[in-house]
Amino acid sequence: MSENEEKKNEEVAAPQGGLSRRQFVTGLGGLGLGAILGGVITGGLTQPAAAIAIPGSEGYLVVDSHKCIGCDSCMMACSLTHHGNLSFSQSRIQITQNPFALYPDDLTVAQCRQCPFPACVEACPTGACHVDAANGNVRTVDPAKCIGCERCVNACPFTPSRAIWNGLEKHAEKCDLCADTPYWNEKGGADGKQACIAVCHMHVITLQKDVPVQAGDVGYNVNLRTKDGSAQLKLPTGDDGFYTPAEIAAAKAAAAAAAAAAAATAERISTTSGAAKPRNAR
Amino acid sequence: MGNGYAGKILVVDLTARTTSTLNTSDYAEWGGGHGMGSAIFWDLCKDKTVKAFDPGNVLTVMTGPLQGTLTPFASGRCEVQAIAPEGFPVEWYARSGFGGRMAGQLKYAGWDGIAVMGKADKPVWIDIRNQNVAIRDASASGDNLWGLDTVEVEKAIYKLVRSKDTVDWTQYGGSRDSGRSTMNPGVLSCGPAGENLGRCASLIHEGGGGAGQGGFGAVFGSKNLKSISVIGTGSIGVADPKALMEARAWAEANWWDIDNLKPGLPGMYTSRPSGALGADPIGNVGSRDNSCLGCYKSCHGGHSSRGLAPNSSCFDAFYNMMGPFSLNHASSDNATTTDRLQRMGINAWEAVMSIPWLVGLFRQGILGPGKQIDSNLNWADVGSEEFNKAWLEALAYRTDVGADLAEGCARAATKWGRYDQDTTSGALAICAHGYAHHYDARKEVEWGYGTALDARDINEHDVALTLYWYTSMAPLMGMPYIMPAKDMVEMIGATLLPYADPMMLDYSDEGIYSDAMVKFISWHRSYNRFWKQSGIFCDWGVTDWINPYTEGYKGLTPELEPKFYNAVTGKNLTFEDGMKIGTKIWNLDRAIFALQGRTRDLDALAEWQFVSSKAAAHSVYEIPYIMPAFENGEWSYKNVNSRMLDHAKFEDFKTRYYTFEGWDPKTGIATRETLEKLGLGKVADELAAAKKI
Repeated sequence: MSENEEKKNEEVAAPQGGLSRRQFVTGLGGLGLGAILGGVITGGLTQPAAAIAIPGSEGYLVVDSHKCIGCDSCMMACSLTHHGNLSFSQSRIQITQNPFALYPDDLTVAQCRQCPFPACVEACPTGACHVDAANGNVRTVDPAKCIGCERCVNACPFTPSRAIWNGLEKHAEKCDLCADTPYWNEKGGADGKQACIAVCHMHVITLQKDVPVQAGDVGYNVNLRTKDGSAQLKLPTGDDGFYTPAEIAAAKAAAAAAAAAAAATAERISTTSGAAKPRNAR
Repeated sequence: MGNGYAGKILVVDLTARTTSTLNTSDYAEWGGGHGMGSAIFWDLCKDKTVKAFDPGNVLTVMTGPLQGTLTPFASGRCEVQAIAPEGFPVEWYARSGFGGRMAGQLKYAGWDGIAVMGKADKPVWIDIRNQNVAIRDASASGDNLWGLDTVEVEKAIYKLVRSKDTVDWTQYGGSRDSGRSTMNPGVLSCGPAGENLGRCASLIHEGGGGAGQGGFGAVFGSKNLKSISVIGTGSIGVADPKALMEARAWAEANWWDIDNLKPGLPGMYTSRPSGALGADPIGNVGSRDNSCLGCYKSCHGGHSSRGLAPNSSCFDAFYNMMGPFSLNHASSDNATTTDRLQRMGINAWEAVMSIPWLVGLFRQGILGPGKQIDSNLNWADVGSEEFNKAWLEALAYRTDVGADLAEGCARAATKWGRYDQDTTSGALAICAHGYAHHYDARKEVEWGYGTALDARDINEHDVALTLYWYTSMAPLMGMPYIMPAKDMVEMIGATLLPYADPMMLDYSDEGIYSDAMVKFISWHRSYNRFWKQSGIFCDWGVTDWINPYTEGYKGLTPELEPKFYNAVTGKNLTFEDGMKIGTKIWNLDRAIFALQGRTRDLDALAEWQFVSSKAAAHSVYEIPYIMPAFENGEWSYKNVNSRMLDHAKFEDFKTRYYTFEGWDPKTGIATRETLEKLGLGKVADELAAAKKI
């Protein structure tokens, strides 16, 4: 399976002074600015005709999918702290695993990108999916205003959609950086803690204040293994999730040293007992 | 809010092709997991003397309140129990377990467990999508799953269940509110070994997570059941979500920190999660450790860029090294062979034990082409990739010498007229009940006595990890002990509630037969039966007795277990309360054994353990065997490797143990008074009706 494959590019693309919307958003994202767009018509419902300034989120979840051990604790914690119960389907971060796919394609981490230009917010006809100025401009859903049209779910340009349909409570929802977590004794939001980070023992997820590079996944799926104990644990630390040339060279040197030590031991046994026998030979 | 339970248990009758439900609340007194599974078995299996492959055998796959709930070491576990074909000479009712993601899927689908009864008239698989349960055709005329290996079948089921092969959301049911998931279903399958009723056939989940011991893969096979698949899009409520998050934060803060690694304790896997055991070596490929649901120890095995042996761990991955490979230092690829073992669905322990024994027979001219035991496998090439392939396929498909060995080494040895001879010499290193020697019954007696009293190799690593592995490996690696033996046994002894007696950990030659050891064996059976096997806290996560990340190395047991249990269930269960439930479960299991014919003389260990002190050929790591010992008024770490057991002392120990448990020392069966005191009056009635008490 591929990581965070972008979908429906044509569907969401719109002219923007000669640039597609995606090109426009990508450029702005790299600068850490919010998006300023002209009037938008959405599904027959007229939005304000004047320019809309969309302030950037003050926090972004960034992950290292190569480091993830697939325990899915983040998913359960997300559901638990927001809803008081545990569920994979109610989680706003999705870990999808296929143990039979070849590493690193065996596991995908799909977290909300808090897009500088949030297609989910744009698509919402009621303002339920909105930018929450009171909570660090996180893009979130007010369930009370949600009419269940799922336009936010369908508008999300990523697979799987980061805006999700909660069939148990019957409304859309998305990552709010834990701004609304009534079942947790910690303060969430862009300036607070996030449940997925709190329960991730491998520290696969981190909160970043700066807007990540928007092109592809490089800004959101990063290498978090170079400054923790990964190298000490002999986990691969290369950006691609594989061992670096230095790690491979060190491993080969260690193997050669072990082989030499074994040969020396065999020689010593041969000298003292007359013959080297395989251990356990009977 | 809720209490961690889904509320219902699914009952599938394959003969009638019907499904029904049980109310979990009717079985909540047993906690979950094995205890609940045994209680359901007691109720549903009308004739507990049936053979393992009889349609009347009832197999349960159980979770409990903690599964799918963020509880480290517990969230991803399932327990499996049934009359087990691997047992010898009697197919004792037994248990096994596995980790992965299936427990969460089962709970979120609305089920605390599954009981499978009867036998399908042709191959089937059970397809559970939330509350929708279908018994589907697994034969060539249907979904064509029969005959596939455990990897092939799980991949095929992913495709059958999911709408498309991407990470996108798949909708289940007729409406958007009926549920969506991005995940693959949890699948549990038997391989060719199970289909062909190999008594050491395992059940495999995610390529490597497996219920190995007991031969439950063959119980699947006997029922014409290839796989159980479950996808759950619902949720589980817990009593106190905030307390659960606080418990998790406490566990996070006190168990391993990748940003602040402490020096590891040798042998204990506290330095690196052990997942990489199954992955390929550094420099070869990339790989990740992998954990079971909600856990962070990563014992579940790794995933590599070669895709071999995913989620295989410990002896799965050591199979080649400890068995075939160790014999002639051949260079077959370990990951390739492990992958083949798991795909066939064979219990690694049996495969490992059998190789040194069979090679010995080959070298003596007893086994080979045209020999007394006729075999055309290339026994001079043990350890090579070619041999491993041929050998594992022989076991799975009952070809060549596998025709006999698929019945298990004990039954094969009996057929060949070698059982008494080879289990007395130790050439065939069976511990008890036909199961391979694991940790040494003669030295680490809680393992040996526990196995003799139970139905299978108990596979309970609490003492093994701390008071054998750590205490033996530290000096071998030139590392000073973290504390003197006296401090160690006092620290651990304080957790042995309600007794809190360090003398229970005296593994001296006298101590292993002492009344304190009687008490410890009782504690050990009850602790494992409830907290580990019904809780279900994984054996590799707890008992947490030595912890490098806490003050003074004090482990998280006995605080961890009830802390999570109570946050989830809303109960106020103490550690000691759990021990009482464990005692009740242990007595129920022993009653099942009694109905199957267990008598005092069958609470036995194979003879070699009384006449030989040499290591079993397939356990070459057990040198030395350093354990705590109290001698001449002082505690020390002592190498007890040369010890063998004494028949008279063992029998005397059994008498005192039975008495301690309230069992008749003549029969080893609980008295009516004991059973009624435990609330098991109906069990006493059935035992009385069978003239067992």
